[in-house]
Amino acid sequence: MARRVNVIGVGMTKFAKPGASDDYHVMASQAARAALADAGVDYRDIEQAYVGYVYGDSTCGQRAVYEVGLTGIPVFNVNNNCSTGSTALFLARQAIEGGLAECVLVVGFEKMEKGALGLKYTDRVNPLEQHVDVMNKAQGVNGAPFAAQMFGGAGREYRWRHGTRRETFAKISEKARKHAANNPYALFNTQLSVEEILASDEVFDPLTRYQCCPPTCGGAAAVLCSEEFAKRKGITNAVYIAAQSMTTDYASSFNEDSMIKMVGYDMSAQAAKQVYEKSGLGPSDVQVVELHDCFTANELLTYEALGLCKEGEAEKFIWDGDNTYGGRFVTNPSGGLLSKGHPLGATGLAQCTELVWQLRGTADKRQVAGARVALQHNLGLGGACVVTMYRRD
Amino acid sequence: MSELRYDGRVAIVTGAGNGLGRSHALLLASRGCKVVVNDLGGAHTGGGKSSEAADRVVSEIKAAGGEAVANYDSVEDGVAIVKSATDAFGRLDIVINNAGILRDTSFQKMSEQDWDLIYRVHVLGAYRVTAAAWNLMRDQGYGRLIFTASAAGIYGNFGQANYAMAKLGLVGFANTLAIEGKKKNVLVNTIAPIAGSRMTETVLPKELLDALEPGYVSPLVAFLAHESCEETGSLFEVGGGVMNKLRWERTVGKSFPVGRPIAIEQVKSSFAKITDFSKSTHPTTIQDSLTAVLDNVQKPSKGGNEFIDVDQALGFEFPKVRSSYDSRDVALYALGVGAGRDPMDASELAQVYEAASEGMRPLPTMTAAIAVGQIMKAAMEGVQAPGMNYGLDRILHGEQYTKVIRPLPPEAKLEHRAKIKDIWDKGKGAVVVTEIKTYDDSGSLLAINEVNTFVRGAGGWGGERGPNTDIAIPERAPDFVVEEKTDEGQALLYRLSGDINPLHADPGFAAAFGFNRPILHGLCTFGFAARHVVKAAANNDPRLLSSIRARFADPVIPGETLVTEGWRRDDGSVVFRCKAKERDKVVLTNAVAELHKEVPKASVAPSESKPATSPGASKSTEGMRPTEAVFSAMGEFLAENPAIAKGVGKVYLFKITGPDSVWTVDLKNGAGSVSAGVKGAADCTLELTDTDWMAMASGAADPMKLYLSKQLKISGDLMASQKLDFLKKIDPEKVKAKLGDGNPATSPGATQSAPESPAGDVFIGIADWIAKNPEAIGRVGKKFLFVLTDPSASFVIDVKNAPGSAGPGAASDADCTLTLATEDFMAMTSGKADPQQLYFGKKLAITGDLMASQKLSFLKKIDPEQARAAVARAKGGAVTESAKGPSKSAQVRAAIAAKITAHPGWSAELGGAVTFALSDGDKSVFTVDDKGVSEGRAEHAKTTVTLGEDALWALAKDAKSAALYQHGELRVDGLVGPAHKLSLLNGLLA
Repeated sequence: MARRVNVIGVGMTKFAKPGASDDYHVMASQAARAALADAGVDYRDIEQAYVGYVYGDSTCGQRAVYEVGLTGIPVFNVNNNCSTGSTALFLARQAIEGGLAECVLVVGFEKMEKGALGLKYTDRVNPLEQHVDVMNKAQGVNGAPFAAQMFGGAGREYRWRHGTRRETFAKISEKARKHAANNPYALFNTQLSVEEILASDEVFDPLTRYQCCPPTCGGAAAVLCSEEFAKRKGITNAVYIAAQSMTTDYASSFNEDSMIKMVGYDMSAQAAKQVYEKSGLGPSDVQVVELHDCFTANELLTYEALGLCKEGEAEKFIWDGDNTYGGRFVTNPSGGLLSKGHPLGATGLAQCTELVWQLRGTADKRQVAGARVALQHNLGLGGACVVTMYRRD
Repeated sequence: MSELRYDGRVAIVTGAGNGLGRSHALLLASRGCKVVVNDLGGAHTGGGKSSEAADRVVSEIKAAGGEAVANYDSVEDGVAIVKSATDAFGRLDIVINNAGILRDTSFQKMSEQDWDLIYRVHVLGAYRVTAAAWNLMRDQGYGRLIFTASAAGIYGNFGQANYAMAKLGLVGFANTLAIEGKKKNVLVNTIAPIAGSRMTETVLPKELLDALEPGYVSPLVAFLAHESCEETGSLFEVGGGVMNKLRWERTVGKSFPVGRPIAIEQVKSSFAKITDFSKSTHPTTIQDSLTAVLDNVQKPSKGGNEFIDVDQALGFEFPKVRSSYDSRDVALYALGVGAGRDPMDASELAQVYEAASEGMRPLPTMTAAIAVGQIMKAAMEGVQAPGMNYGLDRILHGEQYTKVIRPLPPEAKLEHRAKIKDIWDKGKGAVVVTEIKTYDDSGSLLAINEVNTFVRGAGGWGGERGPNTDIAIPERAPDFVVEEKTDEGQALLYRLSGDINPLHADPGFAAAFGFNRPILHGLCTFGFAARHVVKAAANNDPRLLSSIRARFADPVIPGETLVTEGWRRDDGSVVFRCKAKERDKVVLTNAVAELHKEVPKASVAPSESKPATSPGASKSTEGMRPTEAVFSAMGEFLAENPAIAKGVGKVYLFKITGPDSVWTVDLKNGAGSVSAGVKGAADCTLELTDTDWMAMASGAADPMKLYLSKQLKISGDLMASQKLDFLKKIDPEKVKAKLGDGNPATSPGATQSAPESPAGDVFIGIADWIAKNPEAIGRVGKKFLFVLTDPSASFVIDVKNAPGSAGPGAASDADCTLTLATEDFMAMTSGKADPQQLYFGKKLAITGDLMASQKLSFLKKIDPEQARAAVARAKGGAVTESAKGPSKSAQVRAAIAAKITAHPGWSAELGGAVTFALSDGDKSVFTVDDKGVSEGRAEHAKTTVTLGEDALWALAKDAKSAALYQHGELRVDGLVGPAHKLSLLNGLLA
């Protein structure tokens, strides 16, 4: 019988734009200290640390946690593109669930550069080569940021298939800004109207600038522990991980000539399915969701992949307000990647942080009433998708 | 829409006393048409006669204020019916052949009278009425004829064999009248109505009959009879509120090569394909019907038998395979063919020692071992050319030819491209020639090998024997003799270079093939002999061996002494043969080696690769080819703008083809540089033709568009290709300056001065017409070469490449070449002779694409007056710029409008009005709805598509809207649905 894994502490920094943040070790250690303090655990209790980041030389993870303590524990550097943070979380969860550790620290951070994502190493095979090949076949390649071409292309394909209005995509961003206005940790706190969103520069039809997440700097962290450890520390009724699943690309990403499949629709759908099966809960049991809205198009696709609505019904779901307060779910109460920001390595842990706050009922103005079950979806091209279900009894 | 009227028109409606005929008559009369109401007044089965029915309808018409007369004649008396019309109203415009009867009975009970009566009323009756009206209509230059067929005729119906025969007979009758009447504005259509009438009330239930009242049929009939309707030769199903047009559909089917008998079994095995409608065409004319046959006879069978199907096998390209070798492989091969026996011989040492002082010199024949090894490997993996149905037991390596383009490097990464180059019928056996071209990793050709495989017992299909490759040995003593003993273990060493056939190693296996011991590889003997030639005739420098060919006459047993005798020829080549000394057997015959006089350069420097055209042309560009000039300009540009390289940070390799050259553009290191050949590792490799490269560099072509149209191939880091925009920053003036005056730019469309040939004037007229009718380029899409005799001259009409041209000259890329006498040409272009007549009269010879010649009919459209004016202008020396034709978008727009006029309702298939907004060109905006094309946007158009002229053009040709959309070339706002249907525009421009 697998052991229950509790999330007893979370913390994050206020996300900032490139150039306006502290250095990575400062952001990461600040988040880690916040999580430890939240858990009421001393760093000497930490047996292992999993540290995620995408951009940086090797062993940045050590440099970051050395700020907090030098106890000689194992430190793992984790890199898995945009799903880096939740991949670190996945490893930490495994360690505790499998009885290999009692209390571990998970940290994610990113110090990003201005502008769109690009390749750092051009003297070797691009890890996204197969993805680019699919895109190339489906729609060619142009000068837009490649992530926008990929997710935008998926949005294009969806729109062709279902006749989705441009306003529907923009409406997702409008909602994200509205949610973020109540989140002091978010990068953007100003609201935007659908008209303003649509009027911003076009990045890749149907995506406009305000429908793309910004490059962001920030850190986030969580402390995970076993049930015995929690008891020992006198922690009761902690938020725990009800189920978690990670998937990588299936053949469908590459052999269906579909942009939707290429950007990982099946990874998301399968991970969600596994989580629902493991937990014995379904979408209808969930109240609050943090999902990977790197672009509006991907939030829309993810509604369907996670089963929040039926395939082809995302537009109705959005206009019915089923993705916000008063509707069937609240998606991305934090403002999501679109408005809170997307520091690649930190995102998975920032999502976790928001959901733990929601389940504890301490999310302040953002609080989703009666939140008992929360779902997290974190996706990276290349690819990996981690879906996590959190509960509090 | 204004009311369609028939005032002043006169119609005959046969069988108008009841049912459909009555309904047609009433409708036409209500719109001002004068009607002859014909009805014999008989029963629907043909018996009896009365005037009552016709009279009743006439009174109905008159009561409603219309004009009509009754006629009671049988349709078999067509002359009398037509006479009623001319007597009463003085003319005749419309004939509706509607009269009919039924004699339904299953075929086994059908009497000949049943058959004959149906024939007489439906077919003979329709004939008689039509024949009486035909010349009258032709003479007045106006007529509308409607025939009444039936679904029973189209599909068959139980109990109606006679009726079905008659009804489908009318369809064929009408279709031919449509063709014959078209010029005289006599238009002929056929309907297959379904309506409740006296003829159907016996077979259909009442509820259905009520829905099938004739009132649902007559409006279509009336429209087809109206002067504004230009439809002709069509067949419609109509009734119960539904109107459809029918057409034929034909499967792509199966084409058997002509010149070979077709076995019944082949028909059986191809039957699924013959009947497969997943790919189909819709022939509408007898010319369309013939295209498949014409296409097929263009490629007659090359023959074959149960062993080899030449049609299938010839030209087959094997999958590309890659391999590599290094200095160790070079040494191993050379040792395998006997090199390095004297380690103190420096010239030989270079063949086996990578650190030799003059550098390693691989033997060219090594490429044969590698290439043949790759082919064998592929064969073992089951890759086989189609149509080769023989076992390996039948084959023998007959001949080998090896040519190296330049000296082999000591190590290389290779790509081998093999194909079946020739198949020869040698009587009893057959020879299959497999050509293997080997390229290095910069993509340039390194070596060509040809393997002639003799296939025992597979010949005799009466095919070509192929060239004679016998080479006579001069009748004198050899100029040199080289003698060398092979090792007993020679084959065991040689096999390590790739040919691991146990025949050369395993005594048991060899015994099974009738050999006392394992034999030496043929290619090993070949390598020995090549070495001997190199040694005796080329200073032992393998780099001087250009090519070598030999026929394998007899196997060699390892340990035997090889004696190579050679004779130098005047052209520098060497004829040789090779014997096994101990047995005095010739083992290699018909052998010849070509040698270079001096060592060719090791790598391809682009300036060396000569353009494919006449070498003299390079003089005028002062030794610099256009491509080179552009790269040179690029280098200068980078030197002046070091920031460019900083912003790009990539190394590009350009592989230019036709003529071939390779360039490295380094925008990563330092200020960037441009150099010929491969320099360092490239991030991104771009392959394109010289022409496209020039277009891209001069800004005339967009790299992305070239890429999407597959004219530009990109490998490696695809994202790096995004940064090619820097090309746009290069000053085109600089490039032009580099090119100088020698740039052999062609100016299409330019009319050249009139030549001596009297036909020259005609071509001036043609050029003028093409300039004024640019849409012809889309429609005709061919390039013609005319070779005229008496006096001889040659002209090119290019109606393929915009803006098109016509004038004196020659073209190697013409689709079709027409050879005829000048006199016949003049007759043809003045309309006095028909191209087809000339062709069948053997006065016109056509080679190339025979179908292209069918498109010559556009010549008939040239207005002689305008042509004369054009000639006058040209001769008067006045330089007039040819009138600019309508823009692409205007052409597409016109095509849409024309289509809707010809086929009302066509655009309704879009499922909604669509506004087209052009993003470039004339930036025009127009809206297409179910009625036609209108300027600007429209309130009711809920879909707007924004696209460039090229995309619109592509859509009107064959591009799919989904692909254009996903590629971002077609933007959709508003309702997406109708955009799905935009592929409807496909084919508007042929």
